[in-house]
Amino acid sequence: MNPILGSRARTGTYLLGWVPIVALLLLVALSQGWALLEALVLVLPLCLLGAFLFLSSWYLCRALPLASTRVGSHWTAWFTAAAVMAALWGAAAQGLAWILSRIHLLSGLYDRTRAALPTLLGLGAVLYLAVLTLHYLIDAMERGKAAEDREAQMRLLAQDAELRALRAQLNPHFLFNSLNSISALTTLDPGRARTMCILLSDFLRGSLRLGEKRLVTLAEEVGLLKSYLSIEQIRFGARLQVAWEIAPDTEGEEIPALLLQPLVENAIKHGIAGLPEGGVVRIASRREGNVLELRVENPVDEDMPAPEGLGLGLRQVRSRLQMRFGDRMRFEAGIAGGVHRVLMVFPAHEEVKP
Amino acid sequence: MTERTYTAVIVDDEDLARAVVAEHLAAHPEIQVVASCPNGFEAVKACAEHRPDLLFLDIQMPKLTGFEVLELLDPQPTVVFITAYDQHALKAFEVHAVDYLLKPFGADRFEEALVRAKARCGQGAPSGPQPAALHDAARSDWPLDRLVVKDGTKVSLVPLAKLDYVQAQDDYVLLKTPEKSHLKQQTISSLEQRLDPKRFLRIHRSFIIQLDRLARLEQTPSESWVAVLTDGNRLPVSKSGYARLKTVLDQGGL
Repeated sequence: MNPILGSRARTGTYLLGWVPIVALLLLVALSQGWALLEALVLVLPLCLLGAFLFLSSWYLCRALPLASTRVGSHWTAWFTAAAVMAALWGAAAQGLAWILSRIHLLSGLYDRTRAALPTLLGLGAVLYLAVLTLHYLIDAMERGKAAEDREAQMRLLAQDAELRALRAQLNPHFLFNSLNSISALTTLDPGRARTMCILLSDFLRGSLRLGEKRLVTLAEEVGLLKSYLSIEQIRFGARLQVAWEIAPDTEGEEIPALLLQPLVENAIKHGIAGLPEGGVVRIASRREGNVLELRVENPVDEDMPAPEGLGLGLRQVRSRLQMRFGDRMRFEAGIAGGVHRVLMVFPAHEEVKP
Repeated sequence: MTERTYTAVIVDDEDLARAVVAEHLAAHPEIQVVASCPNGFEAVKACAEHRPDLLFLDIQMPKLTGFEVLELLDPQPTVVFITAYDQHALKAFEVHAVDYLLKPFGADRFEEALVRAKARCGQGAPSGPQPAALHDAARSDWPLDRLVVKDGTKVSLVPLAKLDYVQAQDDYVLLKTPEKSHLKQQTISSLEQRLDPKRFLRIHRSFIIQLDRLARLEQTPSESWVAVLTDGNRLPVSKSGYARLKTVLDQGGL
């Protein structure tokens, strides 16, 4: 949708902008000896037509964004379009004049218009380019606003992630089940009960610390996951196995804080917990050129109907990446061969935003 | 006269959680733990084999939930639910559990539940959960996406997505899927109430179809209607069933 026609206020302002042009054309026509009636019947419809015809420059603005580096090559397109549109406009003027000249009072209009045609063509081209410029201005304005919105939304999502992290610590199911395991271990194996208390404290402290930051190193995030998974391993016993495939050259990479935590939590909740035999949760990272690839895999119960679409947790992880990297990231999640896999690819060594 | 003894089955997918219950029960010589099951399938099997008096049952487990296990048991033992989530508590009472324990629980709380459970057993045959209450309970929490069926001691899960149609057979329903048919002890009306009316429609006293399996409607020489399914099956459509179908079709439901 054209941004000018898209809002009633903008359409009004734009048409108002044509009033001085109408006035100018009328003055020029009168100074050339046109009768007022002749000038009015030609200029008014012609300007109205021009106002809408030249809005088509929106498509050109969209097709040739200024952001691209080869702006130089745009000139040809702009001027060709201006020439074509001016010719169309001129032809319309001549056609209109021809029709109107059938009317007795306006019989001289056709010749007068033909005489004024070079002026009209020139003016048409100038007006077309003016409307085109207007579109570029509006576009730049909206892009600025979109960037601002994106920034705001990113902040919101980051806050949301922090909140979620806080909630994850207080995830009632996780917490109560962990406490139940500790309660069982106090008589069965007091040593392990103490280990579990310490692991739980490590995890809570770690997620509080990470939740305060926006970016952490992969090694920090992995550290948190390790304490989380150790707790779950006590709970699930042999059912939960973990395969770490973290490439050493990726450990220093900075990633959004608590990016992997919700994925690993999902892997347990929707994967391991649903399987009587359990399985392996695989957490992998590698660097290829200047992109970082993160992967979380877990087996799922194939007899269970797969939930439709992405769950809230996955959607949130994806939009956090999207906010940060735009279309320079890839996020895939799906089930194949009984394994649920989440794959994230994004630029490595991303500069830290203020 | 010696005190009566009780048999008990413990069901939880976590080893440690089962160990806690077993530990509490060890202080009670009158209670004999006959089975300790890590999942719902084994629980159904163990209950069929041992017919226990008491069942300590976790709710969230792989494959079968605690509620689904209960639905498959006949006769019903006296049930104490054990869960980490108190959102299940209300439902536990709806299905006539004598008590529910929230993880982690202490010895006092466990004793209290045990006293209640033993008292219920003393009343003779436990009043099992009403099927309707079970169904309502199952519905209130999880969107129903599958049915549980027991053939002898074997438990099958039938995902609703696979269900072509349901046929009433006295007190049973025949669940027809592309691979095979399952017989489930339930009336077609109570099953109808559990199914999503946007996906399933009762087309006849004896038939419910999954709407996206309907290929076309045909009229017989005797002016009655027949539903032809995508797999070629032809099922009778009653007058009221036709009216319901027409409403759905007119709404563009297909």
